[in-house]
Amino acid sequence: MSSRESEIRDTIENRDRIHVVMFFLSLLFLALGVAIIVWVVKIQTSYTVDDKVIGLFRPVVQKHVDIPVRGRILATDGRPLAISAPLYDLHMDCTVLKQNYIDRGKDSLERVWQDKARLLGAALAGEFREKSAEGWTNAILTGRSKGSKYLLIRKNVDLETLRRIQTFPLYKEGPYRGGLIVEAHEERIYPYDSLARRVIGYVKEQNRIGLENSYDSELHGRDGYEWRRVTDDGSWVRDLDSTSVQVQDGNDIRTTLNVDFQDIADKALRAQIDGDDEVRAGICIIMEAKTGAIRAMVNLSRGATPQTTLWERENLVLRQVGEQGSVMKTVTLLSLVEDGYVKTLEQTIPTNNGFVPGGYNQDVHILDYQRETGRRDISVMHGFEISSNYVFTYLAENYYGKQPQEMFDHIYSYRLGEAFDFDIPGLGTPVVNRPGTPGWSRTTLGTTAYGYSISVTPLHIATFYNGIANKGSMMKPYLVESVEKDGKVVKRFEPSALNSSICSPATADTVTRALRAVVNTGTATRLKKARLSVAGKTGTARVVLSADERGGSRDPYSDSQGRKKFQGTFVGFFPADPDEEPKYTILVTVYSYPSHHNFYGGTKPALAVREIVDKIYALDDTWRPELRPTAKVPLMTDEK
Amino acid sequence: MTVKNFWLSVRNVFRALRNGDLLLRVKADKYYIHVMYAFLLMWISIMLSLQVDKTLTRAGANKAALEELRIHHTESEAALVKIKSASATETRLKKLGSEAAMPQEPATVIKKK
Repeated sequence: MSSRESEIRDTIENRDRIHVVMFFLSLLFLALGVAIIVWVVKIQTSYTVDDKVIGLFRPVVQKHVDIPVRGRILATDGRPLAISAPLYDLHMDCTVLKQNYIDRGKDSLERVWQDKARLLGAALAGEFREKSAEGWTNAILTGRSKGSKYLLIRKNVDLETLRRIQTFPLYKEGPYRGGLIVEAHEERIYPYDSLARRVIGYVKEQNRIGLENSYDSELHGRDGYEWRRVTDDGSWVRDLDSTSVQVQDGNDIRTTLNVDFQDIADKALRAQIDGDDEVRAGICIIMEAKTGAIRAMVNLSRGATPQTTLWERENLVLRQVGEQGSVMKTVTLLSLVEDGYVKTLEQTIPTNNGFVPGGYNQDVHILDYQRETGRRDISVMHGFEISSNYVFTYLAENYYGKQPQEMFDHIYSYRLGEAFDFDIPGLGTPVVNRPGTPGWSRTTLGTTAYGYSISVTPLHIATFYNGIANKGSMMKPYLVESVEKDGKVVKRFEPSALNSSICSPATADTVTRALRAVVNTGTATRLKKARLSVAGKTGTARVVLSADERGGSRDPYSDSQGRKKFQGTFVGFFPADPDEEPKYTILVTVYSYPSHHNFYGGTKPALAVREIVDKIYALDDTWRPELRPTAKVPLMTDEK
Repeated sequence: MTVKNFWLSVRNVFRALRNGDLLLRVKADKYYIHVMYAFLLMWISIMLSLQVDKTLTRAGANKAALEELRIHHTESEAALVKIKSASATETRLKKLGSEAAMPQEPATVIKKK
């Protein structure tokens, strides 16, 4: 065989081998194709789904619930009174990586971890000083040996502290190596601590009070959710193929409160009552005369014993329904003047040695008056100045004795007989013993005229005096100006009147003159030298004791040791000069524990009012003097 | 088509499969551009999907950063407000030995003519 033939044979053999290999490969792929077709047919007809297998192919998704950020409660100038931010509870899994090191027999790695734990202990001691470096290290290493997976490091730390702690040795290596467990929870922050806390309130499970409660639906917002899936690089992103509900953060509530006024009132009241163990509580309301907007509402009280500290424990302004004493004489005077029974304040009545027929007690102060002046008559103005019970009992009996309902109609028109609608629920309902009610007796008309037999809240009283300051237009007190979303007003609450005309402007002017006289020459002379002229009325009232407090005494106003509970009030408005419009109405009341001492409205309450008025005078824009240029000053610029 | 022709066709298909020229015989090459286009679309779809994931991841990180800034702002605001109240300032000044206190007189306003 020639070499040529041999080459040809080799080539043919090679080709045959290639063909054989290709043939088998083709057969293999063909078999695979057939297998796939068979498999597809099987899946379509008889394959049962195994959840574990399906789970491997199904994309991993998680439902993520978005909690809305609770809206803020703002002061009238936008300063925050209540805001929300998360705080963090820190725990530590001390056993982190321990089993791993034991399984792998890596004692050296365990020693390194423990060395880092010592450094961590030192760093924690620098941050949280309740334990030394050794103390923290011991806690961590003991926890590690005992298998503690949830060692408390600290509760309620803020974000800044958290970020600092996350840079500490071990912790900076991440949770899987450092063991730091961070749990966030939304917390309400009240930057001014106790300031106006009873007004702002809070929401804690079933315990809900104040604006936080009454505006909860606005503040809360709406929960949202979205489904999240994991991406190829392990991050969680929103699954756009699933449904979602956009979270809606809560709206902000802008109140009428002025933080500076609230601060001033709080401090002035504390200055008067803090050191006095016989004082149980003190309240203050500052209201804008024209609108009824409440600029400050202070509710300081002690607990059951005088040793407890003053705190905003209960909203006495709204809930302390009680006999208000002589501040109610203004109610009587306003009615008498409006009805034309008292034509001038200089009108006189006989003194009668302080006796009003019909079973009333003698007013011994009238005897003093008779002795000092030698007169047997007294003017309405002077009776008001010295706050004579006799004068007002006499006037009420004389002019309303035959138709007492006439006087009670006035009381109801001043809205002193009902609980009106207010931004914070729970305004106390007054108790009025009018004719025909079980509490009515022969002397009820007279005692009502000087502030007993009728129980109202301090807010009712302040609202009434505000009506006088506002020339007869009694504005509805309110605390919330607007509801806002991202700084834009969603809902605005305009001032409204409870009674647009409780009296004529002339009657209001007459009563204002009487109220000015109380400050200038009457029972509130401590306010005479205030930086702004004040018109108002003092009131001192005994408070009915509870059965426990009475301890067997038959007198509802005193206990078995003869001690009485008092409340002293000053209520008025300023400025009160005839040529000025009153801008603010103010009420301060001080409540005592059972005591042998009297608490007059002209003392502590008047002193607190004096301090408040002086400070408001200095801070409020209204009284800023203007400085105007009196000569031409050459311009220092190129301006022509 | 007769049974014989059918089996002949089957045999031809198998032969073509064996020789690796089935697609050429059925003239699939004229759809080459369409096949490539389909692949391109699939490739673009995958790339876009990855880009969407990347954007969503970045959006999530930005959202977290914004939330952190919000918290920081809230905490700073609370801290600032706390020290800004008039009485707190007065107390702090007193502690520092200063005689400065709240004003007794209202501030004078300079008015332009």
